[in-house]
Amino acid sequence: MIPIEFFLAFAAILFAIGAYGVMTKNNTIIVLMCVELMLNAANINFVAFSAFTGDAMGQVFVIMTITVAAAEVAVGIAILLNAYKLKKATEVDGLASMRW
Amino acid sequence: MFDLPEIPYLLTLLVVLPLIGAIITLFMGNERAKYAKYTAATMSGITLILTFFLLLAKNLSVYSENYAWIESAGLKMSYILQIDGLSILMVFLTALLVFLVTIFSSHQEDKPNYFFALLLAMEVGLMGVYMSADYFLFYIMWEVTLIPMYFMISWFGGPRRHYAAIKFFIYTHVASLVMLIGIFAIAIQAAAGGVVDFSFAAVAIGASAFSSTFQIFVFGLLFFGFAVKMPIVPFHTWLPDAHTEAPTAGSVLLAAVMLKMGSYGIIRVCLEVLPDGAVWWQPAMVVIAIVAILYGAYACIAQKDLKKMVAFSSISHMGMVLLGIACLSEVGVEFAIFLMFAHGLITAVLFMTCGLAHDLFETREIPLLGGLAGKVPIYAAFMMFGFMASLGLPGLVGFWGEFGIIFAFYEYSFSINMIWLIIFCLMSLMLTAGYYLWAMQRSLFGKLTDKIETAHLRDINKSEAFALVIVCGLIALFGLWPDLALGYISDYTSSLVTLGVVI
Amino acid sequence: MFIEYTWLIPVIPLLCFLIVGFLGNKTPQGGGYIAITGAAIATVLAVLVSCEFWTSAAYSDVGYVTQQITWFTLPGGFTLHFGYYIDSLACLTMLFASFIAMLIFVYSLGYMHDEGVRKRRYFGEVSLFLTGMLGLAVSSNFLEMFIFWEIMGLCSYLLIGFWSFNHPDGDAASENAASAAKKAFLVTRLGDVCLMAGLFVLLFAFKTLDYADMFTEEALAAVDPNMIILGSLLIFGGVIGKSAQFPLLDWLPDAMAGPTTVSALIHAATMVKAGVYLTARCFPLFTQCSWILLWVAIIGGVTAFFAATMALNNMNIKKVLAYSTLSQLGYMFLALGAGGYMIALGLEQGNEALIVAGSAGYTAGLLHMVNHAFFKALLFLGSGSVIHSCGTEDMRKMGGLGKKMKITSITMLIGSLSISGFPFFAGFWSKDLIIESVMHASDFGEQTLFLILWFLAIVTAFMTAFYMFRMWFMTFQGVEGVNAHHTHGESPKSMVVPLCILSIFAAGLGFVILFGFDNLISIGENAAGNLQVGSGEGKGFEYITEIFGNVYTWMTIVLVLMAMGIAYLMYSKKTMNPGKFNKNGESRLYHALTMRWWFPQLYDQIAWKLGYGVARGVDFVDKNIIDGTVNGISNAVIGGGEILSKAQTGNVRSYTTVVFGGVVVFFCVILGIFWYMGGL
Repeated sequence: MIPIEFFLAFAAILFAIGAYGVMTKNNTIIVLMCVELMLNAANINFVAFSAFTGDAMGQVFVIMTITVAAAEVAVGIAILLNAYKLKKATEVDGLASMRW
Repeated sequence: MFDLPEIPYLLTLLVVLPLIGAIITLFMGNERAKYAKYTAATMSGITLILTFFLLLAKNLSVYSENYAWIESAGLKMSYILQIDGLSILMVFLTALLVFLVTIFSSHQEDKPNYFFALLLAMEVGLMGVYMSADYFLFYIMWEVTLIPMYFMISWFGGPRRHYAAIKFFIYTHVASLVMLIGIFAIAIQAAAGGVVDFSFAAVAIGASAFSSTFQIFVFGLLFFGFAVKMPIVPFHTWLPDAHTEAPTAGSVLLAAVMLKMGSYGIIRVCLEVLPDGAVWWQPAMVVIAIVAILYGAYACIAQKDLKKMVAFSSISHMGMVLLGIACLSEVGVEFAIFLMFAHGLITAVLFMTCGLAHDLFETREIPLLGGLAGKVPIYAAFMMFGFMASLGLPGLVGFWGEFGIIFAFYEYSFSINMIWLIIFCLMSLMLTAGYYLWAMQRSLFGKLTDKIETAHLRDINKSEAFALVIVCGLIALFGLWPDLALGYISDYTSSLVTLGVVI
Repeated sequence: MFIEYTWLIPVIPLLCFLIVGFLGNKTPQGGGYIAITGAAIATVLAVLVSCEFWTSAAYSDVGYVTQQITWFTLPGGFTLHFGYYIDSLACLTMLFASFIAMLIFVYSLGYMHDEGVRKRRYFGEVSLFLTGMLGLAVSSNFLEMFIFWEIMGLCSYLLIGFWSFNHPDGDAASENAASAAKKAFLVTRLGDVCLMAGLFVLLFAFKTLDYADMFTEEALAAVDPNMIILGSLLIFGGVIGKSAQFPLLDWLPDAMAGPTTVSALIHAATMVKAGVYLTARCFPLFTQCSWILLWVAIIGGVTAFFAATMALNNMNIKKVLAYSTLSQLGYMFLALGAGGYMIALGLEQGNEALIVAGSAGYTAGLLHMVNHAFFKALLFLGSGSVIHSCGTEDMRKMGGLGKKMKITSITMLIGSLSISGFPFFAGFWSKDLIIESVMHASDFGEQTLFLILWFLAIVTAFMTAFYMFRMWFMTFQGVEGVNAHHTHGESPKSMVVPLCILSIFAAGLGFVILFGFDNLISIGENAAGNLQVGSGEGKGFEYITEIFGNVYTWMTIVLVLMAMGIAYLMYSKKTMNPGKFNKNGESRLYHALTMRWWFPQLYDQIAWKLGYGVARGVDFVDKNIIDGTVNGISNAVIGGGEILSKAQTGNVRSYTTVVFGGVVVFFCVILGIFWYMGGL
């Protein structure tokens, strides 16, 4: 059996990549995808712990998360489209009208 | 003297009548505005008449009202109004001055309905502060006074009114928050049987068990809260600004009644509840008071604005009040209360006349005035009367306050073998005479000024003269027969002696 | 039967003040007649009360009669009263004060004739002034006395500043009057503050301020002597301020800015006499310690001398008289000091003879007070008559007025003779007794000091005769000055009649010493063993042999005659040139005298530095440091908010970075805490 550390390390790497993307990328689509990466990193943790403890609750949560994530992506893309219509920009830096 | 009937709910009436008046007046906008002053004068007049029932009452303790207000498992706040020798003079002063100020400013042209409503609203708060016997009610009323005054300054004030109003509000509000912490501290510490009861009576019972460390600490908190209101150097700087910008009526109430809330609080809360704290803080209070007296007096000399000068003189005189309290002797507290009353009457005259300077001459800058006694003799006479009363001319009310306090301080300094301390008080008497006479010399006497238009000056009109004559008459009356006021006060101070608060 | 109505004596002028103040302009002369009537009633009452007091044996045993009501009480067993206390001193003071004030009021009808509506103010204020003096004379305790004392201060302020606006001579004169009034009030206030401190000391020590309770042997013995000394010195501080003694003597010459009648009132009947009265009143206290009285004598002697020097070269007729007042007041204090010194020594040593000898000084001082009241009122009113007629106060512009104003000139001559101490005029008797008692005091310790004081007194007598006759000759003799050409001639009757009445007293009042004055006004132990006024034994005609059998008397007379001769040669015959002595006004001494020994500059400097200088500093601290701190805190809050709001860049990426960074830091902190607590 693969030890749990491998799963955790993998999830952590995935999360770090996602976080890095959110923090550095200017393109909104990529930012959204990176958010998905971080979500899935959490899902992996859930599944891994669920398998190791033999508790199905973790897998239930994963299904739940995937559902919510799908809805979230739909809303996110809709916001993006509207923002693009208004500002003619897909860059995050262009959407800074809430500053001081 | 007279057998006046006992009026039920008298104390509540004193609070509620001005409130009703304020609400009615507030809605007298537009074409009804010219009747606002009559409503205000009537309501405050009735309030004033009702206070005479208190003044002539044989037994003040019958007038006390006690209703539970908020009562939950661990908390009890009540609506308690009561009156004693300390508060009765303040209540009288409030009612009198609100009435006179209403008459005095009956020529208010700009938004008279708001103006008079604010005056009456202030009376509500002030009456509440001086009569409440529950710390929570006391605190609420304390804050209630703040709001009308804020609007008074920021709507009807001078050119820098917004700055002054905000400064006044925030400064005194911060101080009252500190005071609130102190109030919570004493109420919680005194709580018996798991119920935090905010009433004076309940706290007084619990107070006997306060440790002296607790008393010293909480005394500091409360003292700070009250000292800002008095105001005591170095927490005084809101006062000159507020006074300079406030309209005359506002300045009169601010100086004559609102400042007394500070010293009232010190006596009512700090001394009554925390006597050990008072003893620990006594040397500090004495030093602060002396600094305030001299600092205020010296600052007066340098002022060019008449109203600002009078504002600093208030600081000096309130320092004198604090000195009387700080002596922690019966004479000292008695005459501190007397001086509070006296100063209320005297500053009313001072601020009325100095505020009028703006109406009559369009300026209050002393260097721009001069030789005006020949042009406006009645105005000059009132101003001189006010100045003479304030510098402590014997035979007028201010003298007795200073006389008693300096005597008490002499006793105190004698007891600690430092009689020379009294020199500072005496010096302040000199300085006070100095700045008033100098101001009079420059503004009323000498060459008629050519810096302002003096061809068509009006002298004071009838309603202004009416208000001034009444206050001046009272100044002379209480000056010749101080026992009229001392009678009430000594009842209270002797109860302090029984409590062991003062010697 | 009249004594019960003593309280009316100050109350009647007070009523006049109120009536004149409110209704004056509706009555003829702006209420002048009301004021005169009030003063006249007060005078009559004073005479009746005094007669009853002096004739009734019931009072003479105790030496006083007092009655009072409780005013209010201070906690701690201090009861303050309001009432009257009549003894010989009070009788004497109220007699001369009310009588002279009445004459001055009559005179004012003429002198203030052109003042129009302002007459109401004038007559109201002078009535209040008289209330102050009469109330002071009859008060039964120190506190009541202090109130009337301050009322007089207020009145002097108001009256010296009578022309502080719309002065007939223009704006500069108005400014001058306003400044002089302020100075008078402030300088006397300095004294009053001392006096108030003295009251505290005494009230605390004695538990009472009533004369009748304080001036008893038991009360004095029961109190810590140091407290009595402190209280006495502080009270004397008040006296120095009110009576314009050295070093607070500078306000009185400036006070000449007021109307001449006011000067007469201040110098003759009220105000400055209050100081002498109070010193005499406090004798039972002062005599508890001899060196207090030594100070009184020194201050009196020094003032007498200094003030006389400043009068020598002054060209202003009123200022010469003002300095002469200071100088004569100095004499009174010298007499009281010297006499009291002997009494104090006598009490210490139990020496009855010394007390009797000291009592002579006391009598002399008070006799001089009364004499001075009359001749100084006369001189001031005379000078007022001259000023009224010439329209100037400068003596160089007068001259030769003797022919045009005969009555004024003769009455002024009588006044000058009296103040100079010319034999048999009023001033002679009292001044001679003063000089004699100073000489006498030198026999008992402090010999050098009293000899110096005696010498000063003699020199002052010489100078007094010189400057008074210089004034008289410059005004009434010699060549007619600029303003003397077009005078109105003699003044109206209302002014001349008071002059004549006063001149009778100024000439003959001194003889009272031969007819039992010293019997009434002397100090000694009464039946109860307390020091009281009016229990001595009169010497009567013995005084004549005593005075004229004394070589020093003749010496003084010769000096006075010499001074008068020099003044005659210099200013009337003009055979002696005064310029020879002062290098035509160039000498340094002359300069010093013109600069009034630099006293005014000294005061201005002190007031400016200690008052305005410090005030500017305080104002700076207030505006910049204290208010600066408050505004600084508020600015820091606002500014801090501004700076922090800059963090809201609107940049999503930086927000996320902060969020992640925050989570990491937070996580690390939690870990650290767990590790520190040993939980990990």
